[in-house]
Amino acid sequence: MADVDDLLAEEAAELDGYFSDAPLDPQPNYPPLKTSFDTSIIITNLPRVPQAKLDKLTKVVIKLVSRIGALATTDDFIGVSMPFDESKGTTLGFCFVDYEAPEDAKNALGVLDGYKFDKNHTISVSPYAIAEKLKDLQETEEFVEPEPAPFVENPNATSWLEDASQRDQFVIRQADETVVSWFDAKNEPIIDYDGSREKEAGVAWCAYYCHWSPKGSYLATLVPQRGVILWSGSSYEKTGRFVAPDVKTILFSPQEDYLLTNNMRQDDQQAIKVYHIQSGKLLRAFPLYPADFPEVEDIPPPAFLWSHDGKYLARMGTNLISIYATPSMKLLDKKSLLSEGIHEFQWSPKANVIACWAPEQANSPAHVDLIEIPSRKKLRQKNLFNVTKCNMVWQEGGEYLAVKVTRHTKSKKTFYNNIELFRLNEPGVPVEMLDVKDAVMALAFEPRGSRFAMIHAENPSAAKVSVSFYDMNKKTEQITVSKKGAKKGQKQSQIVTVKELNKIRTLEGKQCNFIFWSPAGGTILLASLGDSASGTLEFYDVDNKSLVIKEHYRANQVLWDPDGRSVATCVSQPVGGGHFKFAMDNGYILWSFQGKQLHQESFETFYQFLWRPRERLLSKKETNNVRRNLKKYEKQFEKADKERQRALYLEETKGKRFERKKYRDLLSDLRALRKTQRTRRTELQDGYDSTDDSNYVLNEVTVETILSTEEQVVVM
Amino acid sequence: MRPYLLQGHERPITVVKYNADGDLLFTASKDLIPSVWRSENGERLGTFHGHKGTIWDLDVDRFSNLLLTASADATVKLWSCQNGECLETFTHRGPVRGVCWAEDNRRFATISDPFVEHPGKIMVWDIEQPAEPILEVDLLKVDGKRVNATNIWWTYLNEHIFVSMDNGVMRLYSPETGSLVKEIVAHEKKVNRVQFNRDKTLALTSSADFSSKLFDAVNWKHLYTYKTDRPVNDAVISETKDHILLGGGQEAMSVTTTSGKVGKFETRFFHIVYQEEFGTVKGHFGPINALAINPNGRNYASGAEDGYVRLHFFDKSYLDMQDPVPEADDDEDAEESKEDKAPAPVAGKAAGKPEQALEYDESIMDA
Repeated sequence: MADVDDLLAEEAAELDGYFSDAPLDPQPNYPPLKTSFDTSIIITNLPRVPQAKLDKLTKVVIKLVSRIGALATTDDFIGVSMPFDESKGTTLGFCFVDYEAPEDAKNALGVLDGYKFDKNHTISVSPYAIAEKLKDLQETEEFVEPEPAPFVENPNATSWLEDASQRDQFVIRQADETVVSWFDAKNEPIIDYDGSREKEAGVAWCAYYCHWSPKGSYLATLVPQRGVILWSGSSYEKTGRFVAPDVKTILFSPQEDYLLTNNMRQDDQQAIKVYHIQSGKLLRAFPLYPADFPEVEDIPPPAFLWSHDGKYLARMGTNLISIYATPSMKLLDKKSLLSEGIHEFQWSPKANVIACWAPEQANSPAHVDLIEIPSRKKLRQKNLFNVTKCNMVWQEGGEYLAVKVTRHTKSKKTFYNNIELFRLNEPGVPVEMLDVKDAVMALAFEPRGSRFAMIHAENPSAAKVSVSFYDMNKKTEQITVSKKGAKKGQKQSQIVTVKELNKIRTLEGKQCNFIFWSPAGGTILLASLGDSASGTLEFYDVDNKSLVIKEHYRANQVLWDPDGRSVATCVSQPVGGGHFKFAMDNGYILWSFQGKQLHQESFETFYQFLWRPRERLLSKKETNNVRRNLKKYEKQFEKADKERQRALYLEETKGKRFERKKYRDLLSDLRALRKTQRTRRTELQDGYDSTDDSNYVLNEVTVETILSTEEQVVVM
Repeated sequence: MRPYLLQGHERPITVVKYNADGDLLFTASKDLIPSVWRSENGERLGTFHGHKGTIWDLDVDRFSNLLLTASADATVKLWSCQNGECLETFTHRGPVRGVCWAEDNRRFATISDPFVEHPGKIMVWDIEQPAEPILEVDLLKVDGKRVNATNIWWTYLNEHIFVSMDNGVMRLYSPETGSLVKEIVAHEKKVNRVQFNRDKTLALTSSADFSSKLFDAVNWKHLYTYKTDRPVNDAVISETKDHILLGGGQEAMSVTTTSGKVGKFETRFFHIVYQEEFGTVKGHFGPINALAINPNGRNYASGAEDGYVRLHFFDKSYLDMQDPVPEADDDEDAEESKEDKAPAPVAGKAAGKPEQALEYDESIMDA
């Protein structure tokens, strides 16, 4: 009874104030009444443990779930409730968790679902509301397998590659239009599809930017109110739709399996979403910044990068790289790749190798690392000193990596560059160093080649710069004396490639700030782009040393087509950028790779130009085979070209003739009318008939001017 | 094609005009003194002294006897072409923008800008009665906005007075009553100038909306549009070929803020029907304000903001130029075989070729 008395006394003390004469507390401090279960979640598929281990399990669960956010603990509730089956003597394999904030509960659904609790248990997390719904569900006797959804054939995403005349495609975004056109690098582009069906039906086509998938199978259009829409096939049918409100950018995985959307919003915990394209399933969502990453205004959030095969998706965090494996989208081996002080990383374009660099820290020098994934083996580490900045450039085939190192002198006032060149395909990954006295502004590898080009000048702000070309392989002629057969003793010259860096040549006094290799190699476009630049375009053939200089004033973009036949230069402006200073010049020009202008178009607002990428299906050997038989193919293509051109010409002529006839008919009608008015006009001009030729006297006057006279005695 | 550079003016050129016979070229600029030149050799024949303001427009009568000049000093002056004497002065209420002889060579029409309390006006005068205009029409506000007339013409047989406006519309007035007969919405922006062909069956507009439009000047139907990427200040119809010439360039006010290359101060040649640009003539370093082509089709003149008049003589290659589309034969098959003999060269890219021929190389001048 003592207990009861105590309780009563306590209650009396609590109620004390209510009966006093003191004014009532206007806002009694009641705990907020929860009216929904949105802070609660249920975790299922936990291990079933006996009484002895219950406490331990509870502790582990609490530790896990508290990582998301604070639990709603009260004096008598720890935030987690683990039901225990007395009859079986074990837990039931699930538990309830209650968070303080509904956002945490929501977040936990995304983060904890599918978490590997231990070897045999992968937990799943559901909101409490679902349990409420399932509570009254009647268990039917037999499980009926649901009917598989009827097979829907997706449009053939590669049909465009079968184009009989081997044309390329490109898409342009201007004003409200998004237009895909064919271009054969000879004649005017022909419009393939401009979204007319969607416009007619009043459904979304493209409201923001658009993107091609890496192999060109899909055209993704962004509609910020809804998300991303994928189109493919010859008639551009809708083949996918991904919810992503406010989407700003997207990133396809290189094999077109996954799609990453990003709305660039800091307040959205699900700013970045990763979808599986075929199933349309959301695999995982991320906030814009990784945890404890400094969110500074000027520094953009670290970007997600796909590995070349789409197996991994990686993002840099503080002192680490988080690598997520597809399709589970879970951290590879449950832990991030630690890398102290990491500043930037890049995937190799052809292998699962990460290149990253970190500046000097405490006692350790700056270093560039090459790390193999998933083994996390360090293939190569290169230590560097006095480093201000590194820039990494991969060769497209992943054979070489160039790291431009900007170094400072002891005073940290002057800078100089050198270039570290990694050969990935050699055992031990040897590194060569190229010392450059000048400041290096840009560096680019020839795609699938061993050469690279760089822009350098004594001063980064110099008006005239030099462009140097280097080859990673040295070709030397070696004279061998053959020892066998009839040619015994004959000297033979043989070209031997030595894996040694050598300089090909330097072009001086150039005006350019960007370099663009043709995807076919051999040709490079030296461009001077940007607002204050001259817009000079120099088409340089590195093999034949031929140079063609053209100009596209105000150009800010250079885009090679996927096979290097033609190149586009654009003056474009950002979508929604309001007034654009150079709107007058907006538009694009298409050039042949030799620098001949093929087509030009101007628009009042011009946002985007993108070539449709195509996969390289031929192997090196097959390409060489084609090269050998070029003569044969040339004839074929030339004939086809001629025919096409003629057909086009005939059609055009027909239309023009028709127009011209219309115009001439109109003119003759009008002339006839004037004839009838002739008398009245003559009257008006006091009897002078201006149409009468006899009124018009043409006097021919010959004027002789003596320019100079000279007297000369002619000796007979 | 080497042009004569007529360096007779000190300020931006406002108008250049050939007389009906094509042997004289009249030019006016903002420097108050209109000039007359011999079109065959670029020799200056004389000047007309007397105005106190910019000359905005001029017109010479059918017989090249009398010249009318419209000036910002609110007068129109009548001059004798023979001796350059000012014969008469017609006083207006505001700067006079345009002047045009009627086909009877007795009457003429003018347009003046609003000035203080006076609205913009269209007036018709008789040279015999210089004291008062015989007709006066006020230009009223449209939607509460003042509109200015930019150009004035008489249509064939003095049927109507044609006025273009700075809000993109063109109007036809009755010359007897002054009533508005017709209104045509031609452009979204200012119509800078309108030019008629000789028998006034076609009218070509030039607008600040970067385009030029061809109209049937009898039924006022829109026929073709010629698009460029800069404002068009003047455009003329060739009398001898199916071509039109467009002149313009970046607005004078923004020229100083951009490089010379960007201005596109070129004369552009378009095919009248196909609306394709097939050539340009460079040379000016300010926007072209005025263009005129000799009725005989042998030369043309362009006057620009840079103060120069360039008198260009066409090359033989231009004069011999054929229509890129061959004349159709009645028999389709015959045509096919004919084209087979002479294939690709004319095809598609015909536009590119004459460009080479027309391109005027500045370096020739220096040589």
